[in-house]
Amino acid sequence: MPADIGQFGVYFALFIALYFEVFLLISYLEKKPAQKSTILPKRYPTVAMIVPCYNEEKTLAQTINSLLALEYPKDKLQIVIVDDGSRDNTRAIGESLATAHPANVIFYNKPNGGKYTALNYGIEHTTAEILGCLDADSFVAPDALVEAVKKFETEPETMAITPAMKVYRPRKMLELMQAVEYTFGIFYKKMFDNLSAVNVLPGPFSLYRRTVFEKIGLFRHAHNTEDMEIAFRMHANGLKIVNAHTAFVYTTVPSTARGLIKQRTRWSQGFLQNTRDYSYMLFNPRFGNFGMLVLPFSLIAFAAGMYTALYALSRIAFTVWEKYADASATRVPLYISPDQLSWFYIDTNMMLFVILAVLLGTLTAIVLGKRIADTEVGIKSLIAYFALFGFIAPVWLFRAAWGAALARESKWR
Amino acid sequence: MSWQRYILAFVITAAIFGTAFYIAQRIDAERINEIRTTESNISIDILSSETQFELLGNSSCETISAHPVLSDELNTLASQLSVAESNLGDDNAEVIQLKQQYTLLELKDYVLLQNISEKCGVKPQYILYFYSNAGDCADCGNMGDVLTYMRQTYPGLRVYAFDYNLGLSALTTLKAIDKLNGQLPALVINDKPPVYGFKNLDQMLALMPDLKIATSTAASTTVKGTKK
Repeated sequence: MPADIGQFGVYFALFIALYFEVFLLISYLEKKPAQKSTILPKRYPTVAMIVPCYNEEKTLAQTINSLLALEYPKDKLQIVIVDDGSRDNTRAIGESLATAHPANVIFYNKPNGGKYTALNYGIEHTTAEILGCLDADSFVAPDALVEAVKKFETEPETMAITPAMKVYRPRKMLELMQAVEYTFGIFYKKMFDNLSAVNVLPGPFSLYRRTVFEKIGLFRHAHNTEDMEIAFRMHANGLKIVNAHTAFVYTTVPSTARGLIKQRTRWSQGFLQNTRDYSYMLFNPRFGNFGMLVLPFSLIAFAAGMYTALYALSRIAFTVWEKYADASATRVPLYISPDQLSWFYIDTNMMLFVILAVLLGTLTAIVLGKRIADTEVGIKSLIAYFALFGFIAPVWLFRAAWGAALARESKWR
Repeated sequence: MSWQRYILAFVITAAIFGTAFYIAQRIDAERINEIRTTESNISIDILSSETQFELLGNSSCETISAHPVLSDELNTLASQLSVAESNLGDDNAEVIQLKQQYTLLELKDYVLLQNISEKCGVKPQYILYFYSNAGDCADCGNMGDVLTYMRQTYPGLRVYAFDYNLGLSALTTLKAIDKLNGQLPALVINDKPPVYGFKNLDQMLALMPDLKIATSTAASTTVKGTKK
């Protein structure tokens, strides 16, 4: 039986988490993702890959080389580098790449205005049918574009496509943690696709039909999360977003806690602010599973995450204080009773089993994500994820909530 | 958008919650069963000890000291009951019944200890500890911690913990014999007049100067009246 009222909030959070996992697993069983096929597109539309960059001298060349290596007719592929007023060597690298590949690479330099302005600049300077974005710290698999174009061809009502994102060469603990996160992200994205509720068109390799921008306009500042806002706007206008789980893109991820928290604070705060801007979609069946499930549950999960973290923190603080006060009063030294090693003394209340069910659901999502996109996830990565994520995530949740409450804009870079 | 999927997900989630509740209940029931088994074993142990003592009479002291008869399992039982009490609540009928049985076993063990010490001329170290979980004894939790530690550190020490409010006539008799005034926590140390109020480890050791520290690992136990 719950020992304190605070536990009811944790049970509610666990119920929401479990409900969401169950919902997505049902969706998986209803429609399992198809295997990659060797069929090629009947027609190759013209594609412009826009690469916005700001101080990306370290990775820009590799990103462009991965685009040049795409298995796609070169006369149909244009790579547009838009330097958003970088202060490092990005401009020189971009210019040299354009000089080396004049048929496919175009370089533009513009004054700094934010990522969305760089994307819009690129869109306005191309005429291609399909417009793609690729962050300058990401690299595409050679067949990624063909896989995405096949989706546009087989589902003509598709207006935008998201890829299956993987972490590029994860080595450090935080990178390994994110590798797991991205792996179950692959599962989530595919299930959101099943539900016609894809919630973000990420910077690394999202593709749009040009008509999207003609119908709903260009990218907006959108609290530094233009990739999320455009997805919200597309749902608001009934434009279909699809996930191409066979189109792989590899992205570099923050390797330090500071970098990760900064990135996730931007994402989370952007989510809160965009959700506020599109609040009319919340619990609105007119917007299908996006309005009824993905958007409200993401919001509730945000609040539940903060609540659970606060609850856990308060319990830990209380327990430490209580132990200290007891030790001071009783003068009994700290010791571990061998008794406590027996099963009889393990706290086996209902919450333990609900938490195990939620963890099992998460593990299932990871395994399915691994299977869908043929991703490598080792034991070390799983340990890093389960050991670290719960401690780090609350930090950016609170920072994002605080930032959103003060309407303080987060930084792109 | 399929509403059936929303309902199905809700039903499955609720079923998982129900299963979690059921498993937790089953484990609690298992714990109760284990406590019953322990109590049954102790009961047999004590009966056996009493019979052995009666059979051997006064000449039995050497045998008794060579083969300890008092049940160490009582200590294990105390900690098990503590867990059951915190999981199921101290107002749970089954817990109350188990506590009553435990109390009776403690009393029998205590009487046997008295008989042995009287007939064999040994001076046992023991504490009768009276506590309450009814919210009227703020210091009982800490007192329980001190006694638990002492019982683990000094294997020669026997601690008998009694819930002051447990409705049991034998316990009422003991309270009357020891002339308790209702103030808690109350401690009767080695047949001396009751000591009232919380005593920390240093104060307890001062009250029992003859205690000897364990030279081998003692059975770990929890003294009843621990925190909630």
